[in-house]
Amino acid sequence: MHHTSDNPRRPSVLHIFKIYYPDLFGGTLTVIRDICASLKDAFASAVLVCSQSPEKREIVVDDVPVERVRSFGNLLSLPAAPTYPWRLWRKIAAHDLLALHAPFPLADLVFAFGFGRKRPLVVHWHADIVTHAGLRWFVEPLMRRTLQRAKAIVVSDHVLVDNTPLLREFEDKCHVVPFGIDTSGYDWPKIEPHHVNDRGRLVLACGRLVPYKGFDVLVRAAAAHNFEVWIIGEGTERPRLVQLIEELGLAERVRLLGSVNDCERIKLMCLADVFVMPSVTNAETFGLVQLEAMAAGRPVVNTALDTAVPRVARHGMEAITVPPGDAEMLGEAIDMLIRDPERRRRMGLAARNRALTRYSATAFKQGMETVYRDAVAAPCEQRSASAERPQAPGWLDSVRIAATLAWSDMRHRYVRSLLGPFWMSLQMAIVVAVLGSVIGQMSNADVLSRLPMLALSMTAWTFLNSVVLDATTALQNSASLIRDRALPPVIFLLQCTFRQGLFALHNACVPLVLWLILSPHDLSHALAALPGLLLFVVCTFALSLVLGAMATRYRDLKPIIESTLMLAFLASPVIWSSDMINHRSTVMRLNPLTHLFAVWREPLVGGQVDPVSIVYVLVALVLLVIASMLTLVHLRKAAFWI
Amino acid sequence: MVSISLHNVGLDYPLYGAYDYSLKRRLLGHLIRDPGEMRIIRAVDNVTIEAETGARIGLAGPNGSGKSTLLRLIAGVYPPSSGSIAVRGNVVPLLGLNAGVNLDFVAEDNIALLLRISGRKPTRAMIEEIWAFTELEARMQRVPLRMFSSGMLMRVLFATATAFPADILLLDEWLSVVDENFAEKAQERLLNLVSQAAIVIIASHDQPLLRRTCTRIINLDHGRIASTVTVTSPAAHALELREKRA
Repeated sequence: MHHTSDNPRRPSVLHIFKIYYPDLFGGTLTVIRDICASLKDAFASAVLVCSQSPEKREIVVDDVPVERVRSFGNLLSLPAAPTYPWRLWRKIAAHDLLALHAPFPLADLVFAFGFGRKRPLVVHWHADIVTHAGLRWFVEPLMRRTLQRAKAIVVSDHVLVDNTPLLREFEDKCHVVPFGIDTSGYDWPKIEPHHVNDRGRLVLACGRLVPYKGFDVLVRAAAAHNFEVWIIGEGTERPRLVQLIEELGLAERVRLLGSVNDCERIKLMCLADVFVMPSVTNAETFGLVQLEAMAAGRPVVNTALDTAVPRVARHGMEAITVPPGDAEMLGEAIDMLIRDPERRRRMGLAARNRALTRYSATAFKQGMETVYRDAVAAPCEQRSASAERPQAPGWLDSVRIAATLAWSDMRHRYVRSLLGPFWMSLQMAIVVAVLGSVIGQMSNADVLSRLPMLALSMTAWTFLNSVVLDATTALQNSASLIRDRALPPVIFLLQCTFRQGLFALHNACVPLVLWLILSPHDLSHALAALPGLLLFVVCTFALSLVLGAMATRYRDLKPIIESTLMLAFLASPVIWSSDMINHRSTVMRLNPLTHLFAVWREPLVGGQVDPVSIVYVLVALVLLVIASMLTLVHLRKAAFWI
Repeated sequence: MVSISLHNVGLDYPLYGAYDYSLKRRLLGHLIRDPGEMRIIRAVDNVTIEAETGARIGLAGPNGSGKSTLLRLIAGVYPPSSGSIAVRGNVVPLLGLNAGVNLDFVAEDNIALLLRISGRKPTRAMIEEIWAFTELEARMQRVPLRMFSSGMLMRVLFATATAFPADILLLDEWLSVVDENFAEKAQERLLNLVSQAAIVIIASHDQPLLRRTCTRIINLDHGRIASTVTVTSPAAHALELREKRA
């Protein structure tokens, strides 16, 4: 990172967001740009974002260096940029302050894993997640962790803190810094704030063409009245809006202007008679464009959202506020202003006055500078102390507790005996040696070249076997923690997988040594086997979850599971392989374990995985996941069973 | 911000006998049309409790009247069979001190593990502070808990469990420590913890204790609220003052 500074080193700020100019225009980006520009004397800014364009990775926008991480499209409103977390982690160290523009769960993920703990973090809360609210259970713990470690949370209006439960938890950290606007650009000598267009019927709206902006409501409102609507902006909703306009026969009066540069936009704002912000969801938290319209001295029609929108331009003073999504009321409000030039003039003057006094760029600059300076200056201890507050256990805490318990089990095994660490591996080595020689007697194949795979298969089987067996007793063994400390039972089933995973990693030294000695080791094969191995582990966990819960409820299942595992071991190609026996018997083909082993064993020896195996494993996985979901529901009752 | 709200909560507690744990029995029972009735007791029946910040609630009642079960319901161990429970704030249930202890581990590992289970990251300073409270020798930190006498073990567990303040504190019986020298100190610490918590719910047989510490006493009988008594003079502060003067 190069700093283009002449004065003694300014603290550097890294702005973290999903997208930036020139890929998109919009309110959040304007805010980031304004922060960078207005604080340029005090802070050196840099931006890290994603971009779908394959062009230059490092660009400079308005004197600010911007690194763009390649993204391969959008997944659930998030850029699919697999390398973003890595790049973020790499860049954290080079900056004095991190400014995360939320919501951006991809970055929350990085912070949730504890990266960048040493750098102060300021969260700019632009909006809550509104789309894909079904994934909230997953994202919220991550966001909470980010907010926990943040030194300050910046919101544009206090109403956001009141209406967002997540923010209320961190009320003491929230700083209200209303966005500011530099009104000098709007001082057109020939267009006085009270100047009113003669025709008096031009309605302007501005924003990305996305569903929550509610432009379809505006178009429908126009159908019943006689005003003209110009909409500035570009986006995915365009085809639908065009279709709607045609269906309603409004092509004469409603125009989609597309993207327009800043200068042109200001001119249009000054030309318009009424500015409309018809947004329909709380994703619209402030409405920076309505502030621009106010600076241009325009009366506003906005919607009664639970956000700052109706508080920036207030009903009856600078705006008329209507219920969101109500085309009829919206149309009437606009029409009322159109018909009443005097009222337009009065509201326009009030709007301009409010923009100048309440939302000045200077106040915004000062507010931001104070927050940033305090964040950089605050000592580290204070930060950790404030992050100390424990929260209600989310899934993240469950995983962490399970990992802690598993790690302590692992340590315990090391402590218990002197030979401890090596005993397990030694046992594994002996088993492999004996089995290897026996198999060598049975078939005339080259035993030595088979040994690494035999050892690895044994390790994997031991893992699966012990996870399932452990799970059958895990809940009863942890009865006191479940009943007296109210820990979720799923922790202890997860603990089995983690614990046996650690043991398996330990045992893996046997196959690793054999692999290094006996086979032409090709690292790319090992990498190709990783997805299959991951499937194997996930399936094992899901299986243990289901069987563990059932064996706790029905105690007579445990012996059945034990004997079934023994049978499965003999019927699956663990110690023998498919080419050693009569070509692909029916039992072997139907046995899901055959395929569960095949998906990682085949790539490891450089072969192709049979598509049948992949389908088989995926179907098994889906069934197991469904069964796990059902189990999780019933697991709430586990405290009765133990 | 902290609140507990139980609305017409009921809990049917299934009593599993030896046969109820058998899948074979259950399946066969279906085949021979003998659904083998499972005994269910109504452990908590139509209980409504509202508690805001500052509430000190005592649960009184004879054995088996549902005190502990009610605490576990609030802690989220059991799902309610009917009614609704809404808890806001971080709940720390101190229902049994032994939970999660591994006697084979040395004392400091146990303390660290217990802290982690309750969602905190143990630091050296925290462990030292807890250890200082137990008044045990520093070298005992490296000794497995198995070697501890029951009194010493109690000290360690008590010190760990009460080390951090909680929003909502659930106590099943006042944590009493038998060791005479330690008892007074433990008492003071627990009172301090109670005074810091936003909401405290104590289940106890000890009526004088409940009168001393609570603002409201709920008498339970067979899972139902028999009566609610509001304690007029919240004597907790007076007690605290007395402790401080002493």
